[in-house]
Amino acid sequence: MSTPERDNDIQRRAFLKGAAAAGAALAAATTATAAEEPRPAPPPAAANLAGDTFVTRPGSDFMVDVIKSLDIDYVAANPAASFRSIHESILNYGGNRKPEFLTALHEESSVAMAHGYAKARGKPMAVFAHSTVGLQHASMAVYNAWCDRVPVLIFAGNGTDATARRPGVEWYHSMQDPGALMRDFLKWDDQPASLQHFAESTVRAYKIMMAPPPEPVLIACDIELQETQIHAGTLSIPKLVLSAPPQADEKALREAAKWLIAASQPVIVADRAVRSAEGVRALVELAETLQCPVICTGNRMNFPSTHYLNLSENRASLVANADVILMLEVADSWGVLHGLGDPWKDVRRVAKPDVKVIHITLADFLMKSNYQDMQRFLPADLPISGDAETSLPPLVDAVKRQLTPARAATLGQKADGFRTQHREMKERQKAAAALGWDASPVTTARLATEVWNAVKNETWSLVVSDRVSWPKRLWPTTEYHQMLGGSGGAGVGYSAPAAIGAALANRDRGIFSVTLQPDGDLLYAPGVLWTAAHHKIPLLIVMFNNRGYGQEIMHVQRMANLHQRNPKNARIGTMMWDPHVDFAKLAQAHGVWGEGPITDPNAVGPALARAREIVKGGAPALVDVVCQLR
Amino acid sequence: MAIIVATAALVLTAGAAVAQDTPAGGSAERGQKLFVDLGCFACHGTHGQGGDRGAGPRIYPNPFPWPVFQHMVRKPRRDMPAYTEKWVSDQDLADMYAYLLSLKAAPAAKDIPLLNR
Ligand code: HEC
Ligand SMILES: Cc1ncc(C[n+]2csc(CCOP(=O)(O)OP(=O)(O)O)c2C)c(N)n1
Repeated sequence: MSTPERDNDIQRRAFLKGAAAAGAALAAATTATAAEEPRPAPPPAAANLAGDTFVTRPGSDFMVDVIKSLDIDYVAANPAASFRSIHESILNYGGNRKPEFLTALHEESSVAMAHGYAKARGKPMAVFAHSTVGLQHASMAVYNAWCDRVPVLIFAGNGTDATARRPGVEWYHSMQDPGALMRDFLKWDDQPASLQHFAESTVRAYKIMMAPPPEPVLIACDIELQETQIHAGTLSIPKLVLSAPPQADEKALREAAKWLIAASQPVIVADRAVRSAEGVRALVELAETLQCPVICTGNRMNFPSTHYLNLSENRASLVANADVILMLEVADSWGVLHGLGDPWKDVRRVAKPDVKVIHITLADFLMKSNYQDMQRFLPADLPISGDAETSLPPLVDAVKRQLTPARAATLGQKADGFRTQHREMKERQKAAAALGWDASPVTTARLATEVWNAVKNETWSLVVSDRVSWPKRLWPTTEYHQMLGGSGGAGVGYSAPAAIGAALANRDRGIFSVTLQPDGDLLYAPGVLWTAAHHKIPLLIVMFNNRGYGQEIMHVQRMANLHQRNPKNARIGTMMWDPHVDFAKLAQAHGVWGEGPITDPNAVGPALARAREIVKGGAPALVDVVCQLR
Repeated sequence: MAIIVATAALVLTAGAAVAQDTPAGGSAERGQKLFVDLGCFACHGTHGQGGDRGAGPRIYPNPFPWPVFQHMVRKPRRDMPAYTEKWVSDQDLADMYAYLLSLKAAPAAKDIPLLNR
């Protein structure tokens, strides 16, 4: 059957293919006909505007062409008038494919979904947001993505022509400068004044966004540009060619290699160091060549947990004894060498006073001042600007060139010791996990172990991997996609939508997604459960339900004791005990399979097995487990 | 510093501590409620198993002997908020200690099949 949409789609694909084959800058599907189309004369005053005049080729169609040229699979949005035209263009002009419209119930969910998606998929998703209120809702999630160095392509509908705004709400929902709201945590933004400007700025934004460190960008879509008939003579879409990522200076890498080879107790600390399986392989090669233990902070899966050189849980002693530390894109480098007491702010030096620090990072390229995500200043002894992942292979080469056979043999003798340390470390984790094994509420270690048992035969991915530390400590993790870290900016409300965004990416790649979902986090914007149900995003959501804001009760407890006042009041404002939230019902209300609350640890495994089958059938499922606070 | 030394001394003598160090008359039932009401569960877990992500260490099984336990709650080594007599009596502490001692110890890791798969 041939439908108008399908014909349209086929024509456009044929056109795009032709344009690509020509190797020329992409010209929009709209362009050829648009060029011939004269600008419509204003209708006579007496004409029936509603019945006689139509906008059959709105500017938003061209905007969709631009987005399509960037190979964007999805756009998440909560609908709003300021982008009604492009919304409709996506559906009826674009055929609702590449991008497909994802119905989000909160703008924070849209952005966090895009955040999780980008980490899992290795490419960005787009987001539409209403200017003013939509952007305000989105902003925390954008900040999280900024801190986590993750790309998100945000479009904001906005009306710049004051005389075209409908009176009332449309004025409240218009801005002179939409990017201003988030410019502190956007890599770039623009408000194009013409369709050609839109094409150039959107492709430019994409290119800037993807250059390491990847970060969110924002493009305003003017309402008039979207809604007015295309009348420009020639419109073209610039081709997208990404910049080669910045590799560290070879001379600096040679020096780093020299220090690392000579070191007696070197350590590698990897934070947001790698972005792919190749990055993991390169780090393994570096560590093995140097026989150097690796500490992963948990923000990315940098290094296999099964590898004998992954001694992450021995961090304190490794840092304390290190003579050289190689940091790879570490956000808080000061915090590796020090601790800070609370509440007395006493500095606790962990590392030796004369430890030498090499730091490969792009931090110096993020020139923003207001938000303090730069962390406390640590002057490295050998600071090297460069993308860690890109700089790893040349660093490995530099090490191999300088490593003499004699030194290599000496380093090789360390391996057995590290193997023993690794084995002992794993045994310690298991012993700690056994504590409170049969307790109710269920311990987080038991929860993580039961979940592992449920997913271990799948091609699994723990899509948010930092809310409970046990998977990092206990699960055999070997692949980059298996653990996707956390929010970046600790803006709570990230976990649920980011998990769903990552699960969408994993669905398309045949990977089974699982998440340990904190209760407080889900309750910020639980509507995202409906989005998962509606779009059939398979995700095993295991509630880490401690019935409160665990982190916060500890803070208030600290204050009560410090102030020598009633220590029994700390739960007020921090715990959700009266009444308990019923998460299985919450899930069911949103169309998601739900079971619980489960308080008996022995009941967790069977419930997970049931939920796993639902997820394998292509839908989300939630199991509510009542857990220990931490 | 003085605090650390004093605590260390107590810990060193702990090995010699014997059963009679356990306070008499502690009510495990009352202690269980206090353990929650006073927020101990938040950092140490309801079974004293310890809290994830550095919240608080394990304090059960093998709890410190009673005098050390008492001392550590009153004058913690480092990051734990101190509980003074103003709000928490020695009887309260004894009850919580009795609660901990009343708990059934968890099986060892080697005896838990799920941990060995
Ligand atoms: C805000 C978190 C927090 C709370 C609340 C808390 N503790 Fe602690 N506790 C700690 C930490 C952290 C330590 C480790 C020592 C330190 O840093 O002071 C500790 C240590 C201890 C120790 C000594 C064990 C060791 O290995 O050091 C005992 C006993 C103890 N706590 C009992 C209690 C009891 C009983 C309560 C409630 C009345 C309580 N704690 C409340 C965090 C907490
Ligand atoms: C948007 C936002 N509001 C408040 C906070 C402060 N905060 C930090 S942790 C936390 C508790 C979150 O609760 P939950 O997600 O259930 O995790 P838990 O601490 O219980 O493990 C809160 C409210 C925050 N980080 N972000």
